[in-house]
Amino acid sequence: MTHPETARDIAAAVQAGQTTAIEVLETRLARIEQIDQQLGCFQQVRAETARADAHRVDEAIARGEAAGPLAGVPIAIKDNIMVQGEPATCGSRILEHYVAPYEATAIERLRAAGAVMLGRTRCDEFAMGSSTEHCAFGPVHNPWCHTRVPGGSSGGSAAAVAAGLVPCALGSDTGGSIRQPASLCGVTGLKPSGGRISRWGLVSFAPSMDQIGPFTRDAADAALLLQVMAGQDHRDDTSAEAIPPSGLQGLDAPLQGLRIGVPAEHCSADNHPEVNAAVERAVDTFKSLGATVCDVQLKTTELGVACYYVVGPAEASSNLARFDGIRYGRRADAPGVELEELYARSRSEGLGAEARRRIMLGTWVLSAGYYDAYYRRALQVRRLIHDEYAALFKQVDLLLGPTVPAPAFKLGEMADPIDMYLCDTYTVTANIAGICGMSIPGGLADVDGDTLPVGLHLQGPVLGEDRILQAAHQFQQATDYHLSQPPGAATSTCS
Amino acid sequence: MSSKIVAQRTMIGMEIHVELATRTKMFSRTPNVAHPDWYDAPPNSLCDPVCLGLPGALPTMNHEAIDMAMLVGMALGCRIPDQCSWDRKNYFYPDLPKGYQISQYQHPLCAEGQIELPLSSGEHGVIRITRAHLEEDTGKTGHELPGGLPAEGSIIDYNRSGTPLLEIVTEPDLTSADDAEIFCRELRAICRALRVTEGIMQRGHMRFEPNINVVLTLEDGREVATPIVEVKNLNSFRAVHGAIEYEVKRQVDQWKEDGIEMGPGAKSTRGWDDLGCRTLLQRSKEDAHDYRYFPEPDLVPLEVDDAWRARIRERLPELPLARRHRYVEQWGLSSKDAAALTEVPATAIFYDTCVHEANRCCELDPAGAASAVAKWLLNAGARLANEQGREVHEIGIEPEQLAGLILLREGGDIGSSNADTLFGRLCCEDGDARTLAEAGNLLQVSDTGALDGWIDQAVAEQVQAAEDFAGGKDAAAGRLIGAVMKLSRGGADAAMVRQRLVERLRG
Repeated sequence: MTHPETARDIAAAVQAGQTTAIEVLETRLARIEQIDQQLGCFQQVRAETARADAHRVDEAIARGEAAGPLAGVPIAIKDNIMVQGEPATCGSRILEHYVAPYEATAIERLRAAGAVMLGRTRCDEFAMGSSTEHCAFGPVHNPWCHTRVPGGSSGGSAAAVAAGLVPCALGSDTGGSIRQPASLCGVTGLKPSGGRISRWGLVSFAPSMDQIGPFTRDAADAALLLQVMAGQDHRDDTSAEAIPPSGLQGLDAPLQGLRIGVPAEHCSADNHPEVNAAVERAVDTFKSLGATVCDVQLKTTELGVACYYVVGPAEASSNLARFDGIRYGRRADAPGVELEELYARSRSEGLGAEARRRIMLGTWVLSAGYYDAYYRRALQVRRLIHDEYAALFKQVDLLLGPTVPAPAFKLGEMADPIDMYLCDTYTVTANIAGICGMSIPGGLADVDGDTLPVGLHLQGPVLGEDRILQAAHQFQQATDYHLSQPPGAATSTCS
Repeated sequence: MSSKIVAQRTMIGMEIHVELATRTKMFSRTPNVAHPDWYDAPPNSLCDPVCLGLPGALPTMNHEAIDMAMLVGMALGCRIPDQCSWDRKNYFYPDLPKGYQISQYQHPLCAEGQIELPLSSGEHGVIRITRAHLEEDTGKTGHELPGGLPAEGSIIDYNRSGTPLLEIVTEPDLTSADDAEIFCRELRAICRALRVTEGIMQRGHMRFEPNINVVLTLEDGREVATPIVEVKNLNSFRAVHGAIEYEVKRQVDQWKEDGIEMGPGAKSTRGWDDLGCRTLLQRSKEDAHDYRYFPEPDLVPLEVDDAWRARIRERLPELPLARRHRYVEQWGLSSKDAAALTEVPATAIFYDTCVHEANRCCELDPAGAASAVAKWLLNAGARLANEQGREVHEIGIEPEQLAGLILLREGGDIGSSNADTLFGRLCCEDGDARTLAEAGNLLQVSDTGALDGWIDQAVAEQVQAAEDFAGGKDAAAGRLIGAVMKLSRGGADAAMVRQRLVERLRG
C-alpha cells in the first residue's frame, strides 16, 4: 500500500479507514529507527505514549466519531515546547532531566485535532543558534548532506520532516529559527505573526519575537496546522484577538492582481548565485500566475541583525535567569558554598557557550550607563523597521526574496558567531516587526558537488498568513520544488 | 565637627507595600494567600507554573487587582493615566523564582496625588503621593520548619509568590516619627475602608519603608543634609516610629563624627532590630543592585479609559478621614470616639446604621442619637466584643434592637443596670427590645401599688435604716432602696421609690 505523505492525506486516510493511526505511526517509528541514528533529529522518541495516542484515535474512529482534521498524524515537537509528562530539555544540560508538568496550548490544540505526539526534536540550546550545533546533546545532520548543518535553531524538526521521519513538526522562530532550517532542509516552514499562536508552554527566549510555527511538506499542510493551533488564549496576554486564519479555504483562489514586492536589499550580489537564481525563477512563476511583481526597498534590512542582537539577548538574559539550579534543573555539586557562588557554578556548568554569550550581552546592554546607548536605541530602530514594513504593505501585498543568503554550510564551518548571526539577516526583521513569514522550497543548488535545497522567503503583514499561504500554495501547484526529497528519503516513505 | 548645630529638620518619605486581598494572584488564577479564605493555607499549596516561574509559563493580568489599585490611587487623590505598562526588575534570589519581578517602573497605574490629614501638631498637613504602582510579591524564605524546629538550609514557601502588591511612594513631606506613624495608620484605615486588605500587620499585609534624613542648620548659617537611609520592611507602627526616632539621632551623631553629607553614593539601606530597638546596616550604595529594568515583553500595556475610571470612582466609599470629620462636626462626637468607631470600616458602617435607626424610632435629633449609640457601642458593646474576640458590629445586636433599647432608656422605662442586662440579651436573642425587656421583667415598675408593697416589706426588714432615714440620715436611703430593688429584681424605678420613701417616712 502507499503511505500518504502530507498530514491532510494521512488524516483523510485514517478517518476513512483506509489505514489506521497505529499503522501510520509504526511506519514512521520504523523509519526513525532505521535512519535517525545518522541524522540525530530526535532528542527522544516516545513510542509508547505515541502508540497510546494513536490507539485513542483509532478507537474514536471505530466508534464512528470524527477524530479531527489531524486524525492520526504523527508530529514531532521541538524540545522547547511543553508536552505534559515529557522531558523538555531545550537542548540544554541545565534542563536535562526537567519534566514538563503542564502542556503547551499549541500541543493541547493539536491533540484535540487528533495529532499523535511522536517525540521531541533537537534544537540549539534555548533556541539560540542557526545550525543546531549548539545543542548540548549533539548536532543534527542535514538529510541532504550529512556533513552539513540542517540550520537552526529548530534543526531537528526541519530535518525530521525533510527526511520523511514525520509529515510535520513544530518549531519556534525568534529570528528565523523555523524559516532558516526549512530553507536549508528543503521543507515548508511558517513563522506566524506575533500573537497568532499562544506561547503558553513555549520556553521563552525573547518573548517579544518568539513564535511557534509548523514545518510541513507543503503550504496547505502549514495552513491546516496554523488553523488548528491559532487563536486567543487566556494564558497568553500577548495572544491576539483576531479573525482566525482560514485554513484550507481560499488557498485555491487565483493570484490575479496580487502585488508582490521584491526587496532589493535581499537580492544582494553577496548571496549565493543559485539563491538569487531561485528568486528570479519564482518571480517568473508568480507573474505567470497573474501576480504583479515589482522591486521595492527595505532600507532597514541592514539594521535588523544589530537590533535583534540587542533586543533578543536583553530579553534572554532575563528569561534565562530562572535557570539557577535552586528549584529544578541542574545544580552544581558544591555543598556549603555561598548562594552567589552556587548560582555561578550551576549556570556555568549547565549553560553552553552561546547561551552564556547572549546572557552576558543582554545583561550588558540593559546595565545602568549602557541602556540608552544600546537597548533604548535598539527599540528606536525596532520602531523604524516596523514602520517601514507597515508603509511597504500599503504598496504591496507580500514580499518575496531568499530566506537565507546561502544554502546549508558544513558542520563546524561557522567558527565566528558573527558570521552565524548574519545568516539571519533576511529573517530577523519579520520577528522584530511582528509580521508573518514563511520559507518554501525554491529549487536545488549545486554547492561544491553537493545538491542542496534553496528556500524562498514570503513575508506578509501582521496576521496576514492567509495571503502568504495562498501565494505559497499556488506556487506549489505550479512547481514541484517542494516534492524534492533528499537521497534515500523518497524510496522509504513511498510504498 | 567644627560648626555647631542650631536647628534640625527631619525629612521622611514613605514607601508602603500593600498586599491586595484579591481572590487570585496578580498574574495567574491560583488563590491568593492574602485573601482571608487562604490566610492559613499550608506552605506551597497555592502554587502554579506561573508563580513558580516554570519554563514556558506566562503571566496574565488580574483585573481585580488593577481595580483595587486604582481605587486606592483615587482615594489618595492620584491621577490615573490613560496608559500604564509593566517592567521587569531583574535580580537573583531563591524566593524570586523567575529571577525578575514584574513591576511598573516607567509608567505606573497611579500618578501624583496627595492626602490631607491632621498631624501631631494638631494642624492639617498635606502629604504628596509620588506614585502608586502594581507589582508581584516574592515567596518567603525561612530557616525554621513549621513548629519552630530549625531547618537544614533554607526553606521557601511560594504561596506568597505572585500576590498582588501595591507600592505607594510619598514625597519626603513627613517631618517626625509621630507624623509618620499617623500617616501610616491613616493609610491602613483607608485601605481597610476600601476593602482592599484587612490590614493585619502581623501577616505582613502592609509593610513600611521610610526614607529618612536630617537637614541641619549650622551656626554659620549653612544648611547640610545627612545621607538618606532607607529602613526596609517594617511591619508594625511601633517599628516605624522607633526606626525613625533612632535614625534621626543616629544620623546627627554620625554627621558630628564624620561630616558626611547627602549625595550620590551616600545612600544606604538599613534593617530594624525589633529587640534591640535599633537599625542595622544592610547595604550601602556602592553594592546596590542594578536592576536592569526593561519593558515586560509578556504583557501588553494597559489602556485605561474614562468609563473604567468612572466605574471605579463610583465604588469609592466615604473615607475614614471624612467620616471622622462628619462624626465630630455634625454629630458632636469626641475625636477619640470618632477614631474608635472608624478603626474598622464595617463597625463604622454598622454605627451609621444604628444612628439612623435610633434617629428614626426615638425621635432623637441626629446628634442625640449619635451620642447615645456611640455610648452603647463603645462601652457595653466594646466590652462584649473584647470578651468574644470580635469586632463591635459582630456581637449580634441589630440596629433596630439597639434603637429600641435607647428608646426604652430615653423614656425612663428601664433602669441603667437592667439596660445593660437587656443589651446582653439583645446580642444573643431575636426580638425587639421592649418584648425581651417585658419577658425578662426588666422594665421599671412605677405602678404605685406594687412599689408600696415592696417598700412595706423593705421597711419591715430594715428597721434600723428606716428609723435612721426618718430621723434625717439621707445615707440610710441607699439600704432601703437597695432592698426594694432586690425585691423587685431590679424593676423598680429608683427615683420613684426614693420619693415615696420620703413621703412615707418623713411626711
